[in-house]
Amino acid sequence: MIQLVGRRLLSTIPTLFGVLVVAFLLLNVVPGDPVAEMVGERADSATIVRLRSELHLDEPLLSQFGHYLWGVVRGDLGRSYITQRPVLGDLFERFPKTLQLAGGAMLLAVTCGITLGVLAAIRPGGWIDRFSMLIAYVGISFPVYWVGLLLILLFAVALQWLPPSGYGGLAFLVLPALTLGTRSIAFLARMTRGAMLEILPADFVRTARAKGVAEPRVFGRHALRNALLPIITVLGLDVGNYLTGSILTETIFSWPGVGRYVLLAIEKRDLPAVQGSILFLSVIFVLVNLLTDILYAKADPRVAYD
Amino acid sequence: MLRHLLRTVNLFDTAKCALFLCIFGSCHGSSGGASRAPGLIYYETYDPRSLDPALSTDVPTGEMVTLLFDGLTAFDPDGRLLPGLSDRWTADRTAQHYVFHLRSGVSFHDGRPLVAADVKRSLLRVLNPETHGGRVWPLLPIAGAQDFADGRARDVRGIQVLGDTAIAFTLSEPLAVFPKFLAMPVAAIAPSPVAAEFGQHPVGTGPWRFVAWEHDDYLRFARNPDYWGGAPLSDSLTVRIIPEPLTRIAEFLAGRVSVSEIPFGETAKWEQEHPDWLKRKPALRAVYVPLNNRRGPLRDPRVRQAINHAVDVPEILRTVWNGRGVLAAGAIPPTLGGSDPGRRPYAYDTSEARRLLRAAGYPNGFAVQLWRSGTNVEMGRVAQAIQAQLGAVGIRVEIVSRDASSMREAVRKGDTDMAITDWWADYPDADNFLYPLFHSASFGPGGNYSFYSDRLTDSLIVLARRTADQSARETLYRRIDARIFEAAPWIYLWFPVDLWAQHPGIDGWDVPVIFNGQRWTKVRVK
Repeated sequence: MIQLVGRRLLSTIPTLFGVLVVAFLLLNVVPGDPVAEMVGERADSATIVRLRSELHLDEPLLSQFGHYLWGVVRGDLGRSYITQRPVLGDLFERFPKTLQLAGGAMLLAVTCGITLGVLAAIRPGGWIDRFSMLIAYVGISFPVYWVGLLLILLFAVALQWLPPSGYGGLAFLVLPALTLGTRSIAFLARMTRGAMLEILPADFVRTARAKGVAEPRVFGRHALRNALLPIITVLGLDVGNYLTGSILTETIFSWPGVGRYVLLAIEKRDLPAVQGSILFLSVIFVLVNLLTDILYAKADPRVAYD
Repeated sequence: MLRHLLRTVNLFDTAKCALFLCIFGSCHGSSGGASRAPGLIYYETYDPRSLDPALSTDVPTGEMVTLLFDGLTAFDPDGRLLPGLSDRWTADRTAQHYVFHLRSGVSFHDGRPLVAADVKRSLLRVLNPETHGGRVWPLLPIAGAQDFADGRARDVRGIQVLGDTAIAFTLSEPLAVFPKFLAMPVAAIAPSPVAAEFGQHPVGTGPWRFVAWEHDDYLRFARNPDYWGGAPLSDSLTVRIIPEPLTRIAEFLAGRVSVSEIPFGETAKWEQEHPDWLKRKPALRAVYVPLNNRRGPLRDPRVRQAINHAVDVPEILRTVWNGRGVLAAGAIPPTLGGSDPGRRPYAYDTSEARRLLRAAGYPNGFAVQLWRSGTNVEMGRVAQAIQAQLGAVGIRVEIVSRDASSMREAVRKGDTDMAITDWWADYPDADNFLYPLFHSASFGPGGNYSFYSDRLTDSLIVLARRTADQSARETLYRRIDARIFEAAPWIYLWFPVDLWAQHPGIDGWDVPVIFNGQRWTKVRVK
């Protein structure tokens, strides 16, 4: 297992290098000038020229990239042009908050999504099935933005049960986590239902029933466990959705996480901040994928890596 | 089939009912929220760059710096120039030599007394290339400042410290509005030497002391009990970072924000439901479309006049902008000295527009691009209205939507025909609506997006800057504005009127006409 992890980690280096190259090139191709965003609405040309040279923006692309890469190798993602703070520090400050949000959303997705899926699979075509699939249908169709605003309107303004937005205790987490998790709940419910329906007619399920295993145990232990593989895959892929989806959710709910940091950095053409965030998020994504692979083996002993 | 249809209709009704209940609930909720006393809570739409005055190049940073620091001069909510750290100043007759006397007994939040050397070092810090601040233009009029900013001189010869209590400025040429430049956040005074990470842990002389800053979440300030201008009436002030306008309104209704700007779509609802909470004030801001005076048919003033005649501005203002603005008959907002209340806006007159187009040699019109920022929905709607109305006189407009940064770059390079944009005042003076917007030295990044260039206008603007006598200066501004208006370098749209709601639980707040005009000292929780 350790060998596997080591090998996989090594193989991520070219991936991350590719990400860096693409991110760097893209940022230099898109129109918009970081210095113009720094100096604000009115500036004298001399200041702009001077700032460009101080930030090495007037150097050839290759040498700019070299500078950046050298920094990254030494673990230095540079300083934001706009705030002049170290990018890595900014990310470390915000990432736990995004993680909290993603964790909340994932917890909701796993508990609600899988439960709905399993319940739906018990009697396909029954009213629970129809109800859960309606929820899944609605959850997938509604845009995150709209769901978020509706939740605020209902639970924060009309009922006043929860605060509309902001960061704080559990009460602040509920609405954004639900917003971010909605699509996942819907998707997982459908996936689970599908996987369960495939497993349930299998021989071993019939055997379990024949030998008198109680129905909840048949579903929970025998069927669900075998249906877990596709569910884990979806969950792993969803982490990417959580990271990008958090841009919208964090904006609506004033949640001080990485998503908003990236968004503002892009708007302001804050190159070090954007590159740093992309690299950071890529690392997270790669790690999650690795974790997913390990979980495969844990969930299904038939999966073996050599 | 019929039953199915009926059921669908029923479903519709149910949905409508639910929506109504929601809205009803929200109104009910708002009056519930009103009874709570929230403490003073303001908001910004994004995190400030820093709390270091030298880095204040955007509105959130400028507003926060204004709470923590003082300049030699200041603005009140109505944009009047007030004494700040300097309680009196003198200028010679040419408006080239100024002496500012410091208020006595002022100390920084850490107890250090303010002396004139702090003023000089603060301004030098802003100009110092190593600060990477980006906004030096307010200080460049000082003799020797440009050399210092370029790293060619080790001192600024135009700043002289006169003992501990006064400081003298010699400018490279006369500038009557210089005291207003010194009220900008970038010219606020920091103690010297400044500590490391000053932008995160600022120390100023202002009405509020710094307590905490959680990035992208909130900033917290406590009252400075020893403030020279009288301590704030409240103990603390929280500034939350809330990017989404509708969330902000929800926060306001829940009693968790003290004041909020009303989003456009909500104007009528608020005017009907909570007229007593609303405050409005004409802002020092112009909404306009710079017509690139150096591109294609737009080079001809007759074409530009025709465009102005072809757009029904009052109609667009009323429908798209909810009537929240004052029609522009010039570039100087009506609340500033130098504006001409007698001048009429371009009349909506399509036959006159066609006649001008024929005279200019475009009887069949022409094609142009109109750029807009994709993130600004209201401006986008204005752009569509302009597109439709210009189409009626044969001018075929293609709308190009880009993100704000890309659009700004293209406009500044002169790569656009027309672009819908706005201009926010840095200081409340007609000069701020003429020199950056129409002087040929301000092409592109300086603010002159129409690339309007006229030698007489240039010389008159400079003459006005040099004129110390206020009424003579205002007469000049009227003349300049009229001359430019005639040449129609813009589509003149309107000066917005800001609409804010103030929570009934607080009083003493007023909409500032300029971003650094509100310091929250007279606001209190009832």
